[in-house]
Amino acid sequence: MENKFKDLSPLKKKEAYFGWKLISPAVILIGLFILYPVIYNIYLSFFEVSISPNQPNKFVGFANYTRILSDATFWNSFGTTLLFVLITVAGSILVGLGVALLMNKKFPGRSIVRALILFPYVAPVISTVFAWQYVLMPVNGPLTLLLSNLGIMDAGKDLINDPNNALIVVSIYSIWKNFPFIYLMILSRLQSIPEDYYEAADIDGANGWKKFRHITLPELYYVLGSLVLLRGIWNFYKFEEVYLLSKEAKTLPIYLYERAFVGIPELGVAAAISTVLFIVMMVLITIYVRRVLKW
Amino acid sequence: MVVRKKSFIKTFFFWFFIVIVVIFVAYPFAYMVSVSFRYDSDAFDSHLIPRNPTLTQYAQLLGLQESIRQQMSQEEQQLMKLLEGLPEEQRQQVLNNIMAERKKESFPFLRWFGNSLLVAGLSALTSVIIGIFGAYSFSRIWYPGRDLVQRGVLLVYLVGGVILSVPLYAMFVRLGLTNSAGTSLFSLYIIYIIQTLPVSLYMLGNYFRTIPESIEEAALIDGSTRIGTIMRIIIPLSMPAIVTVFIYAFMIGWNEYLFASIFIRPYPSAYTLPVGLREIFFSEHAVWAKMMAASVLTAVPVIILFMGVEKYLTAGLTAGGVKE
Repeated sequence: MENKFKDLSPLKKKEAYFGWKLISPAVILIGLFILYPVIYNIYLSFFEVSISPNQPNKFVGFANYTRILSDATFWNSFGTTLLFVLITVAGSILVGLGVALLMNKKFPGRSIVRALILFPYVAPVISTVFAWQYVLMPVNGPLTLLLSNLGIMDAGKDLINDPNNALIVVSIYSIWKNFPFIYLMILSRLQSIPEDYYEAADIDGANGWKKFRHITLPELYYVLGSLVLLRGIWNFYKFEEVYLLSKEAKTLPIYLYERAFVGIPELGVAAAISTVLFIVMMVLITIYVRRVLKW
Repeated sequence: MVVRKKSFIKTFFFWFFIVIVVIFVAYPFAYMVSVSFRYDSDAFDSHLIPRNPTLTQYAQLLGLQESIRQQMSQEEQQLMKLLEGLPEEQRQQVLNNIMAERKKESFPFLRWFGNSLLVAGLSALTSVIIGIFGAYSFSRIWYPGRDLVQRGVLLVYLVGGVILSVPLYAMFVRLGLTNSAGTSLFSLYIIYIIQTLPVSLYMLGNYFRTIPESIEEAALIDGSTRIGTIMRIIIPLSMPAIVTVFIYAFMIGWNEYLFASIFIRPYPSAYTLPVGLREIFFSEHAVWAKMMAASVLTAVPVIILFMGVEKYLTAGLTAGGVKE
């Protein structure tokens, strides 16, 4: 790099300095408020953090880690998080793929339906959460009434705040909220598959399933792979959608939030949790990227 | 798709699935809108179409109509008359109690709306401006370290807000930026910039690469400076992308709950919509019709903005640069 830079003409050097100047505000902000906090977080995880600026933090070594790793609640929320990620990633990709295949065909009213499909993704979490809480309210909620009339459940049941069902409801909500994103990605890839592939398959007498299996799916492989990665990461961290909808779906980010910001703040412990979260995430990402995406 | 005679059954199933998708997507929205046009007493009516439609919830939220509580304040006036008989000090105390009670019961929707608009709007604007120059820099100019910067921007996608919440809170506490409503809002402004900056850089960078460099080169040869070409060529040509990125960044701030709840919980005057609505939801004000009207008013601005840029949004999202 040094050499290359030296070899540049004075004009190019001036350009390079200029390029650095243009990017520097972004680099400084990202460095100060993303990279530094990640490292600071690891540092904090070894301390009993005081929340008053005048009182120094107390070094406690690995105490925060031993505390969370021996806490059953931590492991429960860890398991809940993995289950949540599994259900929502699989669910939203299946729904997104199905809807994308439907919307790839022309039909009257398609543009209206397409716009409508984006609503859940676009609407604020807080609004949609209230709407879901209304339709699923015990006794009076319209969806509760519908389900109880169909004999699926008891009308008095509070589906959202029952610890047994909370995770399922939150997962379905998350699928509903995020499938449009997946649908968009898949649809744009579908539209770039050359028409001749299908025409050739038609001539060979392939049926719809065979065309899907041997043309569409291989073409979608990398999009689907990247979507699993992105959604997996995002859903692993997902806070708002879970926390705002249900009090009973205890995933890891919620455990962290409650340790850090509710009641007596234990920032050191919370820092240890987020460090664990970060490390687990990095390991999973590395394995996935190597094995599935073969980067 | 290949033109082919379709069987009746196939067509039937096709439309059947379309209807299922529409119901799946629209069901909660339909009730949200329906309940928002009802009186509180009809909130639990199971019919989707309101029987006695009313705009009263909206009028009250927007401050166009006094709430029933305020209408009943004649009661308060009578109370005042009674108070006149009391000694000065006692009267003051009773008055203070009434004011405190009133404050608790008010639903300052417009104020929260304004706070959200301010913090989401300003941070999105800042993020887009920094993003334009940054994205131009790494899509057009070569310098040592450029690839590192580009990859770094990608890597930042992988750091979630939850992970940053503890260290950022600790940092802002140390900086003394959590002591008042104003500084807490400022903290949010900074946080929303960094939450949206990677999107801005990535989406704009992708877009700038689609603008032919020859257009710029001509201007540069004619003696225009780099800044000049950004201002006179790149920005006008990228306006659709810039607006899209702004709206996307705006939505992230408009939506954000985690950091808002951490930083502004102690300062009701600084509440943004998500924090305010959530607080109201767990208070005595949790009346469904009004909550639904508030939800509609919170959702409508972003939905309208998005519909306007849907075409560009799709292109921007699928170009590979997205963040939530």
